[in-house]
Amino acid sequence: MDTQEALKSAEALLTGYASTRSEENRLDGTLAPENLCAVVSNLVAARWGYLMAITGLDQVTLGQLEILYHFGAGAAILTLRIPLPRIPIPSVDSICPIIPYANVYERELGEMFGVEFRNSPNTDRLFLPDDWRSAVYPLRKDAVLNEE
Amino acid sequence: MTWQHVVDDIRTWARVNSPWVVHFNTGSCNGCDIEILAILTPRYDAERFGVKLEGSPRHADVLICTGPVTRQARDRLLRVYEQMPEPKFVIAVGSCAISGGVFQGCYNVIGHIDEVIPVDVYIPGCPPRPEAILDGVVKLLGHLKNPVLEETIQEAG
Amino acid sequence: MDTTVPQRFVVPIGPQHPALKEPGHFEFTVDGEQVTGASVRLGYAHRGIEKATEGRNWVQNLYLLERICGICSHVHATAYCLGVEKLAGVTPPPRAQAIRVLVAELERIHSHLLWLGVAAHEAGFDTLFMYSWRDRETVMDILEALTGNRVNYSANLLGGVKFDLTSELTDKIYKGLELLEERTYQYVDVVTSDATLLQRTRGVGVTTREQAEQLGLVGPTARASGVERDIRVEAPYAAYPDFPVKVVTATAGDLEARFVVRLQELFEAYRLIRAVLEKLPPGELQARMPRKIKPAETVSRVEAPRGELFYFIKSNGTDQPERIKVRTPTLCNLASVCVLAVGSQLADVPMILAGVDPCFSCNDRMVTVYSGDTDHTQWTWKQLRQYGIDYYRR
Ligand code: SF4
Repeated sequence: MDTQEALKSAEALLTGYASTRSEENRLDGTLAPENLCAVVSNLVAARWGYLMAITGLDQVTLGQLEILYHFGAGAAILTLRIPLPRIPIPSVDSICPIIPYANVYERELGEMFGVEFRNSPNTDRLFLPDDWRSAVYPLRKDAVLNEE
Repeated sequence: MTWQHVVDDIRTWARVNSPWVVHFNTGSCNGCDIEILAILTPRYDAERFGVKLEGSPRHADVLICTGPVTRQARDRLLRVYEQMPEPKFVIAVGSCAISGGVFQGCYNVIGHIDEVIPVDVYIPGCPPRPEAILDGVVKLLGHLKNPVLEETIQEAG
Repeated sequence: MDTTVPQRFVVPIGPQHPALKEPGHFEFTVDGEQVTGASVRLGYAHRGIEKATEGRNWVQNLYLLERICGICSHVHATAYCLGVEKLAGVTPPPRAQAIRVLVAELERIHSHLLWLGVAAHEAGFDTLFMYSWRDRETVMDILEALTGNRVNYSANLLGGVKFDLTSELTDKIYKGLELLEERTYQYVDVVTSDATLLQRTRGVGVTTREQAEQLGLVGPTARASGVERDIRVEAPYAAYPDFPVKVVTATAGDLEARFVVRLQELFEAYRLIRAVLEKLPPGELQARMPRKIKPAETVSRVEAPRGELFYFIKSNGTDQPERIKVRTPTLCNLASVCVLAVGSQLADVPMILAGVDPCFSCNDRMVTVYSGDTDHTQWTWKQLRQYGIDYYRR
C-alpha cells in the first residue's frame, strides 16, 4: 500500500471526525475521549498499521492535556489526538482490551502526565522510583521537581 | 615481623594478583559499560592482571560503577556496596560517574557516585577508552601494593 | 503445609546484572520448571531525559539525546537531526546524508556483533563471545578513525555531519569489511550447526507471525518471525532512498532465526557500506540551521539496530523544544518477554531475554520481582544463567 493510499483509507476510517493532513505523510484526527475505543477498534479491524507510540502534550495555556496515539503503516502516520482537561485528573478509556501491548505506553503516560486509564489491566509504576512523591507528574510543564 | 604481618602480606599479595571486580550500572548510557566489557575481551584482556569479572558483590574486591546515580538505583548501589567484604575499593568510570555529566540536573538523577559511596579511582571520559580503564585498574593495584608511595604523591600533589 | 497447593516460587532477577551491561528487573513465577507468570519493572536507569530536553536548546539537546544510549547513539542523533531539520525546513547536503547512512550501518555492525557475543555468553558459549568481541574491535577501529571516538561518535550536526571521508579511511574501511565478512560467514556456520548452541536456540522462544504483530514487535526480533517491518525500506530516510536496503526475514521465529537474521543483516550492512563508499556524492557537509524554529511538530522514525526508533518533536518558536518524545525499540520488544516467558522452561529465560536484545538505558530501564506471601527464592541473573547452562548440560 503506498503512503497516499494508506492515508486515504485512514481518512475513510475516520469519517465523521475532524481530520487534517498536518504533513505530507501524516493525518491527524481529533476525537472526543469517548470515541477513542471505537476508532481504534475500527483501525485494528481494518488492519491499518500498528500502534507506534502514545505521546502526551501538556498545553498549560489552553488548560488542556492532549494525548496523541500514533499509528504507522509504512511511511504513513495517523495521529489520533484526544484533548482532555488538565484538571482534575484527565481520564480516558484504556485501549488495552483492543491492543494489549499498549499497556506499557499507557503506564508510562499515566505516571509521567497523571492520566488515568479506565479499565487498564495494569497501572503499576514503570519508570519512576518506588519512593516517588505521588501526584507529581514530571513531564507536566508545571511540575515541581526540585527536591525538599 | 609478626604473624599478623605475614598473613596481611599474603592477603595483599593475593588481592593484588587477582582482584575480582563487580560491575554496577547506576543509570549510565551503556557507553561506559560496553567499554568495560571490552576490556575483558581479547584485544585488551584485563585477565592479564588477574582481573576477573564476578557476578556477586559478596565475592568481589573492586566495585566498578558507571553512570550518574538515579533515584531508583541509589539503594541498590548502597546495598551492593555494603555486601562487599572489607577491604573494598570503588572505581568510578566515566564523566557521569564523576560529575553527573550531561545528566546533571535531570529530575531522576541524584548526583554522582561519590555522593553516595566513597570512590578510590576516577576515570574520566565519555566514555573513557578501554586503555584508560585498564590504566585506572592498574593504578589501583599499584596503590594496594605500595600505599606509602601513593600517599607521598598525594601529599606532593 | 497444605500440599494440595502446588508450591510456587517467585524468582526475581536483577537489577544488577553481572554479565549484561545494564540493570533490569524481572520477576518470574514458576511452578516446577515451568514459568507461570512474569512481570517487569523498569526505571533503574531512568534519568528523565525527556524533561531535560525541554530546558536545553536545540544544539545542546543533540549531545544529550546521543547519550540516551551508548550502543546506538548515532541513530538517536540521526532521528533527532532529521526531525529538527524537517521542522526548520532545512535539507542537509547529500554527502552528509550518505555519511549518516555509512555511520549508521557501521553502528549496526558493532551492535549486532556485540549482541552476538552477549547472547552467546548467556548460552554459556564464551568462546563465541570472545571471538565476536575480538572482531568487533575491527569496526570500532573504523569508527574511531572516522569520528575520533569509539562510542558516542557525535557524527551528526544539525543540518549535516561533522566528518568527511578521506581516501585513506576508505581503504581502511574496505579492508576491515573484508575481514569482517569472512568472519561473519564463519559465525553463520557456527550458529546454524553447533549442536550445543542449537539445543539452546532451535525451537526456543518461538514467536509466530501473528504473535509478533499482536505484540507490536519491531526490528530483527519481528523480522525473525517473518514480519517485514523495516523503516529503512518502508519510509526511507537520510540517504536510504538512494541506497535501497533488502529486508532480511526468517520464518521460524525462534532464537536461531534471530541469530540468523541479525547475522544476515551484517552482510546487508557490508554491502550498503560498500555501495555508499563507491557512490559517495560530492559536496558540502553542512547546511545552515536557524537558531530558533517556528512552532510545528513532526514525527521522525529511523531503524535502529534493535528496531524502529520513534521521535516526536514539537517546537514552539524559541530555541528550545516544546516537547520531545522518544520511544525506543526495546520498550516494544520487552513487553514480549513477559508473554514469551510464560509457559517456557525457566532455564530458557535468559536466552529469551537476550534474544530480543534488550537495551535498558535506551529504554531507561529494568525488571523487579515481587514476592507474594508465598515462599520465594531470590536468584541473581548469574545464578539463573548458570542454571540454564547446567540444565542443558545434563
Ligand atoms: S560518561 Fe558518557 S558514555 Fe559514560 S555513561 Fe555517561 S554519557 Fe554514557
